[in-house]
Amino acid sequence: MRFILGLLASLVAAPALAQYYAGKTVTIIVGYKTGGGYDATARVLARHLPKHIPGKPTVIVQNMPGANSIIAANHVYSVAKPDGLTIATFNRNLPIAQLTRVDGVKFDMTKFAWIGSAASECTILAIRTDLPYKTFEDLRKSKQQIVIGATGPGANTYDFPLLLKEFLGVNIKIVSGYQSSADIMLAVERKEVDGRAGSFTSIRPFIDRNLVRPLLRARATEPGVENLPIDEDLAPNARARSIMALRSAPEIVGRPYVMHPNTSAEHLKTMRDAFAAAIKDPELVAESKKARMDLEFVDGDFAVKVMREVLSQPKDVVDEFSKYVKFGE
Amino acid sequence: MIEALFEGLFLVLQWKPLAFMALGIVLGFWVGLLPGLGGATTLALMLPFVYAMQPVEAFAFLLGMHSVAATTGDITSVLFGVPGEAASAATILDGHAMAKKGEAGRALGAALTSSLVGAIVGAFALAIAIPMVRPLVLTFGSPELFMLAIVGIAFIASLSAPGPRGMLRGFLAGGLGLLCATVGQDPQAGIARYTFDILYLWQGLDLVAVLVGIFAIPEIIDLAIRRTSIAGALPAGRISKGAWEGVKDTFRHFWLTIRCSLIGTFIGIMPGMGGAVAQWMAYGHATQSARTAEERKGFGAGDVRGVLGPGAANNSKEGGSLIPTIAFGVPGSTAMAILLGGFFLLGLVPGPDMLTKHLPVTFSMVWTIVIANIVTVLACFLLLDHLAKLTTVRGTVLIPAILVLVFIGSFTSNHHYGDILVTLVFGGIGYLMVIGGWPRAPFVLGLVLGKIAENYLYISVARYEAAWLTRPVVLILFAIAVAVILYPLLQRRKPAHA
Repeated sequence: MRFILGLLASLVAAPALAQYYAGKTVTIIVGYKTGGGYDATARVLARHLPKHIPGKPTVIVQNMPGANSIIAANHVYSVAKPDGLTIATFNRNLPIAQLTRVDGVKFDMTKFAWIGSAASECTILAIRTDLPYKTFEDLRKSKQQIVIGATGPGANTYDFPLLLKEFLGVNIKIVSGYQSSADIMLAVERKEVDGRAGSFTSIRPFIDRNLVRPLLRARATEPGVENLPIDEDLAPNARARSIMALRSAPEIVGRPYVMHPNTSAEHLKTMRDAFAAAIKDPELVAESKKARMDLEFVDGDFAVKVMREVLSQPKDVVDEFSKYVKFGE
Repeated sequence: MIEALFEGLFLVLQWKPLAFMALGIVLGFWVGLLPGLGGATTLALMLPFVYAMQPVEAFAFLLGMHSVAATTGDITSVLFGVPGEAASAATILDGHAMAKKGEAGRALGAALTSSLVGAIVGAFALAIAIPMVRPLVLTFGSPELFMLAIVGIAFIASLSAPGPRGMLRGFLAGGLGLLCATVGQDPQAGIARYTFDILYLWQGLDLVAVLVGIFAIPEIIDLAIRRTSIAGALPAGRISKGAWEGVKDTFRHFWLTIRCSLIGTFIGIMPGMGGAVAQWMAYGHATQSARTAEERKGFGAGDVRGVLGPGAANNSKEGGSLIPTIAFGVPGSTAMAILLGGFFLLGLVPGPDMLTKHLPVTFSMVWTIVIANIVTVLACFLLLDHLAKLTTVRGTVLIPAILVLVFIGSFTSNHHYGDILVTLVFGGIGYLMVIGGWPRAPFVLGLVLGKIAENYLYISVARYEAAWLTRPVVLILFAIAVAVILYPLLQRRKPAHA
């Protein structure tokens, strides 16, 4: 009986939902300007989501840049309506902003209605292939200094090597101030710096060209770098390990997608299902493969778990962490 | 090499790439005219359409659109004093001054013809430079890029009014520009500078919002006070005559146009210098061509050379900025970063291969820039006289329309009300500078180069300590910077002796 009722309910619900979304516009707010990775991912999703939402609404992308996405996150947390028609995607490091009590943060990362993440972001360390170090162990054992180019504090190009220097005793000199990760790559090419850290996606073309060699990665992984050693596994003590883990945790939820905290369970489920289906859609897969963008859906419940993990750290760990890592891009 | 050059041409000269290029040109034409709606945003929006295209078709479409936006941006600058693109603001100084003298047609003719010359020179410089482009780019490390920014800042000397007073004001305005460039989170320590706890200011001041304010608002106030049309009370007959005159001006000052084109190409090749820098350095160079103090005073008041220089550099830099993207897979600007996405979509890997194995594709891009510019300039000449007539429309009718353009233009930079406030504040500063006789060009140069200079200085010192000061290219660039500063002094002394 209950089964039949459930079946009936779903039969009734689906057309009702279809009616709700039909002819409406779903907006994906991106916390950055056009042209970056967050924006590109949102635009691919916007093209393929409509098929998978009942009623086939129009999906558009709106850019709301500023303050490393804090403006966009504040907007969806308190200004946007909880009607399931506004989605936000923003800086994966926002939980770090909340954890380190950055001014201007007016949201609680654990309270958003989490759709999930469209990809995880793998940070790696890569150095020039003409250097004598074949593995991370070689580099660590050598007392020679290597120069790592970076954009600035708060970016994985800076924070990842900083923790390697502080906790794993690698003789690293960080030179920061490059305008983009592409500029660092050029500095690598002209041998101004010896290597860089950054997302595997952005470094991969240069690994393929044999300009740099990957040596080490953070916890979040992607096909192609699974076998690299992980920074946390090499940590000399529990404290170092927890700081490294804290830095890398947001990368598991690399492309976050959320809605207003008061969004109804029904609308949230619709979007979770739509995202999960869209990311598996063969057309989207073919397209993202061409664009060299590896999308993989991480469920919203898991994303909330990661947020709780980051935000429930004891005070001494947070204090220690804040000494090294600042919130940034 | 020559073979690849022609192979590239024939790749473009097929009906499908040409059709896509035409589509791109039509889109780019409007994007360029409208302030704020930048070439980069449009590229991002159009990227999905290239999935089904062949590489040559896709680049004909994207590059055609992108290079045309740079050309038509000058039209808005000349007619209304509103920068159509961040990279076409320098054209305002003399171009709009000419429009106010009733020479809008001539200014537009000069801007478009010099753009065409710039595009062609840039493309050819690129073709010739391809074999040595990798060593050239690799020679310019952070210390060299810092010195290049210093050479740019030295151009303040040429952009200031004559005399010690003018020079002082120029460098003070430049200093203010440098100061404004420090607003936002600094990249070395992550400290928020001059943000006054306002989230909007974290990313720094947006160039488009500032430029639109500092140039357009004073013009609008001026127009409202004068209560006439932009061209004042001049007879309508004089206006349409000028377009051909502008073409002749380009050839009258042909070597200046060529030199400014080469400056544009060079700055374009340097990754990280940004499109907005090229035209200001070219403008600075154009003012150096004044032989007497009297002539120098004409700049900013409607000297056609002040239109030719930035017009040429603005388009020649497009060819140059392709280089880091193609040869290293390292984009020099947002637009190029999006174009790089296009490479991946099409299955091409940017890098040394593009200069050897895929050379015809690379040349097809160069040809696209040339052909798209020729088509646009010819099409523009048909419209030019009609466009120039806009300067005879009564100001009270025109002002609301221009204001809409101004605020939409600034708002599209971040979609934040802060953009509007920045435009209004800098509009006020710009107006005060105009009535007080302070030059605006040095301010913009400081703003554009401030961050570049700061970052590369920091990197140079952090990486090389003091050793970078003795690098040969650094010393050469230092000598050039000194020469650029001393040039106007020597230049002004000459008539006194004569």
